[in-house]
Amino acid sequence: MNSRMKAEGLLFTLFIGVVMAAALWFSRAWPIRASIGILALGAIGVVLAIWQFVLDAKRTDAVQERSQFDLPTSETESKWGNLEIWGWIVGFYLMILTVGFPIAVPLFVLAYSKCYGASWLLGIALSAIAWGFVYGVFEKILHVPWPTPLISTLFG
Amino acid sequence: MESMIEAALEGLYQVLTPNSLGLMCLGVLLGSLVGFLPGIGGPSTLAIMLPFVMTMKDPYAVIALLVGFDAVGNTASAFTAVLISVPGGSGSQATVLDGYPLAKQGQAMRALSASFFASLVGGLIGPFVLLASLPFLRPLVLSFGSPEFFMLTLWGVTMVGVLSGNVPLKGLLAGILGIFIAAVGADDKSGIERFTFDTNYLIEGIDLVLVALGVFAIPECIDLAARKTKVAETQELGHGFWQGARDVYHHWWLTLRASAIGIWVGFLPGLGSSVADWFAYAHAVQTEKNKDNFGKGDIRGVIAAESSNNSKEAGDYIPTLAFGIPGGTSTALILTALIAVGINPGPEMLTSQLNLTFAVVWTLTIANIIAVAICLAFIRPISRMCFMPFFSLVPMILVFVFIGAFAANRSTIDLIALLGFSFLGFTMRRHGWPRSPLVLGMVLGDKMENYLWLSYGRFGFEWLTRPGVMIIGVLLVISLCYPMLQNWRERKRQAVLP
Repeated sequence: MNSRMKAEGLLFTLFIGVVMAAALWFSRAWPIRASIGILALGAIGVVLAIWQFVLDAKRTDAVQERSQFDLPTSETESKWGNLEIWGWIVGFYLMILTVGFPIAVPLFVLAYSKCYGASWLLGIALSAIAWGFVYGVFEKILHVPWPTPLISTLFG
Repeated sequence: MESMIEAALEGLYQVLTPNSLGLMCLGVLLGSLVGFLPGIGGPSTLAIMLPFVMTMKDPYAVIALLVGFDAVGNTASAFTAVLISVPGGSGSQATVLDGYPLAKQGQAMRALSASFFASLVGGLIGPFVLLASLPFLRPLVLSFGSPEFFMLTLWGVTMVGVLSGNVPLKGLLAGILGIFIAAVGADDKSGIERFTFDTNYLIEGIDLVLVALGVFAIPECIDLAARKTKVAETQELGHGFWQGARDVYHHWWLTLRASAIGIWVGFLPGLGSSVADWFAYAHAVQTEKNKDNFGKGDIRGVIAAESSNNSKEAGDYIPTLAFGIPGGTSTALILTALIAVGINPGPEMLTSQLNLTFAVVWTLTIANIIAVAICLAFIRPISRMCFMPFFSLVPMILVFVFIGAFAANRSTIDLIALLGFSFLGFTMRRHGWPRSPLVLGMVLGDKMENYLWLSYGRFGFEWLTRPGVMIIGVLLVISLCYPMLQNWRERKRQAVLP
């Protein structure tokens, strides 16, 4: 386990500990009926988080401690690491806000698939499937009201 | 006895009329589609269907459509759970744990086949247990109060330890975090707004769909995108169709036990599909030998989760039909529709309206057979998704996830919450934190708190001395100690080995 991963792990455990402590802090102001469970669990949580933090800090193994019921994360092949896919995810979200679901969905599918080597035919086919799914299932059958995109708000 | 046979035949005849059969097939197809599409819950689709169904006059048609729809949602949800690690419905969340690793090993066919055969077994056992149990379970359910229900939810929370495997501390912290997330919103008991920070959005609480999509689906998608390969790590689709069937046959005892757990969870009002598969999965991990492979592609994990989530649907109908107490959200909506067409769930369903009870039983049975036949017939074409390159799957999964997250409450703020939970799930996975306890904590936390206060409000501390509480307490202690004892034995056995 490299020092960066260890520092990240410690930071995450600290974050969990802070959440537990914050839950304890906020629940003080509530009536006992609403706070008893949070107080009890928050107190246990703070103790456990400190314990976990100490364990993480002391850990010097080459291999990170992880749940036996979960798979380890794959090594990223990208130059930018996981930031690349996070960029796509956040970009998709911003695209939805800007142009709305019905346009953002095919545009995103086409852009992503083309960017990573899909042929035009495959890219357009995937976009059409995604758009058909959004239009057919959600718009026509389920009548999902899509949010008004920013572009419509700005330009009428 | 004669009247029972007559009622059974009458129920079967009514279910097999062209009108009812056609509506049942429509229900099965809709249920399978909703089960296959991640993020679109059965209850939300049922809610949309209700206004149309209530205009029908024939109670058998309503039963055929709605019960047929409800019976099969969990069957088709295994497709996406196994192939792209996005559970189609809340009942297949535990299937992801072993189904997806099996797909990555090129054994998607085997995992899906086992999943559908297990679903079939669970789906067939459920209706018959429903029928057989009605006269016996009535006094038991009536004797259960909030203290017993509290103990049952507490039992569920202790499963967190089992689901955390070798990192119990992280598991418990994740479980507590899940309980805190469930606490967000207006508190039913006191009316106090908890962790809402004066925002309207948080008053309604945080939807489990968002948390499940963020914590499970996006991290797996990120992993797939980071790897830049196919979903399956090998090029072999595998010829595991019959192997999957043999797996279910070979693990018949586990299949039966998991089905029984599903029925039991369904039978208890308030504990939904999202709990049944976790309980059955935890039970398999707790009781099966050679458990090291669980979470890495153990077929027993798939069998346990899938047989329980299907049998659970029948279990849901036990309190719904016999006492008019819906076992879950879907049955609550179906109950509304049944009452609207003149069916009165309650003791009459065991006497004068027994033919309607049989119609439910037959619909559950036939719908499951149809759904499994459809799924088995389409295993191969859909399994080919495993060989799609990442650039075809990643954007499609992200589209499913974002639309699913939006469709849950139709709020764009949900998309921001989705991003937050995605980052949480990604970080948890990256640093070896188990994610299942977070979801289990969230499912059970709210119920546990409510039952505790109801128990204290009604009985003071005397609720602790109730026989039912003590019996469940003993079972809880046994379930906690048994894995520890097994671990101790295993360590002792390994220490003896040269």
